[in-house]
Amino acid sequence: MIALKTLNRRTDALVVGGGIAGLQAALDLADQGFKALIVERQPSIGGHMIALSKVFPTLDCASCITTPKMSAAVHHPKIELLVNTEVQSLESTGAGQRATVTRQPTYVDNDKCIGCRLCEYACEVEYPDPFEQGLGALRAIAIPFANAIPQVAVLNPAYCTTCGLCARACPTGAIDYTQEAVTFTIDAGAVILATGFSLNSLNLKPQFHAAQSRNIISPLTMERLLAPHAPYGRVLRPSDGKIPQSIAFIHCAGSRDQTLGVPYCSRVCCMYFIKQAMLLSGALPLADLTLYYIDIRAFGKGYEQFYQNARAMGINFVRGKVLRIEPLADGDLLVHVEATEAAEHCYRKVRHDLVVLAQGMVPPSGGPALVPVRRATDGFFDLPEATDPSGTNLPGVFAAGTAAGPKDIVDTITDAGAAAMAAGRYLQRRRRENSAPVGEAGTRRRVHLEPTMDAVGAN
Amino acid sequence: MATKPLTTEQKQALALFRKRLGGVSKEKHERLKHQVTLRKAIRDFLARQPATIPEIASALARPADEVLWQVMGMKKYGRVREAGDSGWYARYGLIERETEAAAGEV
Ligand SMILES: Cc1cc2nc3c(=O)[nH]c(=O)nc-3n(C[C@H](O)[C@H](O)[C@H](O)COP(=O)(O)OP(=O)(O)OC[C@H]3O[C@@H](n4cnc5c(N)ncnc54)[C@H](O)[C@@H]3O)c2cc1C
Ligand code: SF4
Repeated sequence: MIALKTLNRRTDALVVGGGIAGLQAALDLADQGFKALIVERQPSIGGHMIALSKVFPTLDCASCITTPKMSAAVHHPKIELLVNTEVQSLESTGAGQRATVTRQPTYVDNDKCIGCRLCEYACEVEYPDPFEQGLGALRAIAIPFANAIPQVAVLNPAYCTTCGLCARACPTGAIDYTQEAVTFTIDAGAVILATGFSLNSLNLKPQFHAAQSRNIISPLTMERLLAPHAPYGRVLRPSDGKIPQSIAFIHCAGSRDQTLGVPYCSRVCCMYFIKQAMLLSGALPLADLTLYYIDIRAFGKGYEQFYQNARAMGINFVRGKVLRIEPLADGDLLVHVEATEAAEHCYRKVRHDLVVLAQGMVPPSGGPALVPVRRATDGFFDLPEATDPSGTNLPGVFAAGTAAGPKDIVDTITDAGAAAMAAGRYLQRRRRENSAPVGEAGTRRRVHLEPTMDAVGAN
Repeated sequence: MATKPLTTEQKQALALFRKRLGGVSKEKHERLKHQVTLRKAIRDFLARQPATIPEIASALARPADEVLWQVMGMKKYGRVREAGDSGWYARYGLIERETEAAAGEV
C-alpha cells in the first residue's frame, strides 16, 4: 500500500457512507452551501436501498427513487464522491477531524472509462455476483450493477486470470493494471457517520439448518429475486430453479434473542416481510405465503393499514415460535412450529419450498473501529443526548441513519436531514468563532471552513 | 468483438500485475476450466431441445444449484433464453446467433 500525500483533501463536511442516509445528508449540507465529500467503500453509492425491490408502505420501485438521489449527489457542484474508499480511522485535530482513508485499486482509470462494457463482454471469468447475493454471475471485470453510480468498470483481482482480454477490448485505454491501494487523509470541519448496517449470519440458530439448504435464504436475497432486474428474471428457488409454491417467512430469526447477542428489535423485518409477501402474491398468484411471527410491529404511518391489507389479500399470518427447520432430500423444508394463536398451543409441521429468515440488523461487519466515537451497548454509534439526536460523544461528529440503530427509510432520511442541520449549525458556529476578534486570552482557533477540495499537495 | 493487440507498455503492466497477485493460482485456472467445460456441455445438451434445470443437471450428473448458476450466467450474457415452463420449472433454450460477435462468449 502506498501513502499518497497528493491525494490529501480538505472539506467542510466528510460524509462516511454513500447509502441513502449519507446521500441525503450530503445533499442537505451542499444545498446549505457547504462542501461535502462522500466516502463510500463499495464501487457504487446507493447502499442497501439500491438493492431493494420495492419499498413499504408505498410499494414504490426502490431503484426508481434511489437513483435520482444518487444522481443528484454525484452531479451536485458542492459534493465530491470517492468510491472504493474506506475510512480507516478518525482523529480530532483541534481544528476539526482528520480521517485516514484507503482507496482500493479498481484497475480501471475512471476518467477514461466510458462504461461501454466491452471489457466485461470480452472477459471469460464469472463469479457469484455480490450485488445479486451470489444468485447471478458477474464477470471478473464488470460494471458492478445496472444502475451503479459511477458507471465504470471494476476489475476483481480475486478472480482475474490476467489474460489481458479486457485491455485489448477497451476502446479508451482505461484498463490500468498498475493501480495499487493508496492511503491518504481528509481534513474536515465536521463528520457525518452514515455507515449503515449489515445483517447477522443466517447460521446463528443451528436448529434452522441454514447451512444445509440453499432454500433457506436471506431477506436481501428475496429482495433480489423480486427486483425488476432479478438475477433469474423471475422468482425461482436457488437449489434447483423450481417456481416455489409455498414460501415461509420466519420473523425475529436474528433479533430479540439474548442468546444471539441481539436483544433488540430490528424494526423493519415485520414490514419488509409483509411487503415481500404482497409482492410475491402478485408474482406467484397460486403460491401459499405464510408469515410466522411473535407479534407484528407496524409502527409507522400507514403501516397498520399495510398489514391489514396483506391479511385481506389472503396471506397467512401464524403467531407462534418456529422450533426447527428440517431440510428434506427434495429441497423442501419442514418447518416445525408451536403456534400460539389458539387458546391451546399446538405443534405443527408445515412443508415449504422456500424459507426466508429475518436476520437481525447489526453494525456493519469488517468495518474500521472508527475510534474514538463511542458505541452504545447494541454496537451502533451512541447518541448520548436525547435533545441532540445526531450528536455523538465527539463535538463535530454526527451519526445518521442506521449507523445509529435499525430504522426504515423514512426515519433514515429524516435522521440524515437532522444530522445535516446539526453539522451545518456546528460549522457555522465554528466559522463565527473563527472570524470573531481574538479574545483576551487569545483563544481564537484556526479552523478550515472554506477549504478547497482540490488536492492540497504535500502538507 | 474488435480487439487490438497489447502494447509493450500494457504487456509490462500486465506482467507486473500478475507478479503482484503472486501469479495466477492453479485454483483460478481450474475454476475457469470447469466453467468452460460445463457450459459447453450445457450448450451441447440444449442444442438438442430446451430443458429444465433438473433435466440438465441429471443429464450432466451435476448438482442442480450449480447448473442453475451456470445457466443464469449464460442467460445474463446472451447465450440462453427462457423457453416456456414445464410443470413447476422453467425451460431454457439456446439463443440462435448468426455471428459470435455479440456479447459474452463464455
Ligand atoms: C431485506 C430488507 C428490506 C428492506 N425494505 C425496506 C422497505 O421496503 N422500506 C423501508 O423503509 N426500509 C426498508 N429496509 C431498511 C432500509 O434498507 C434502511 O433503512 C436503509 O437502507 C438504511 O440506509 P443507510 O444509509 O442508513 O445504510 P446503508 O444502506 O447500509 O448504507 C451505508 C453505506 O455506508 C458504507 N460504509 C460502511 N462503512 C464504511 C466505511 N468505513 N467507509 C466508507 N463507507 C462505508 C456502506 O458500504 C454503505 O454503502 C429494508 C432492509 C432490509 C434488510
Ligand atoms: S474499462 Fe473500457 S471497456 Fe470497460 S467499460 Fe470502461 S471504457 Fe468500456
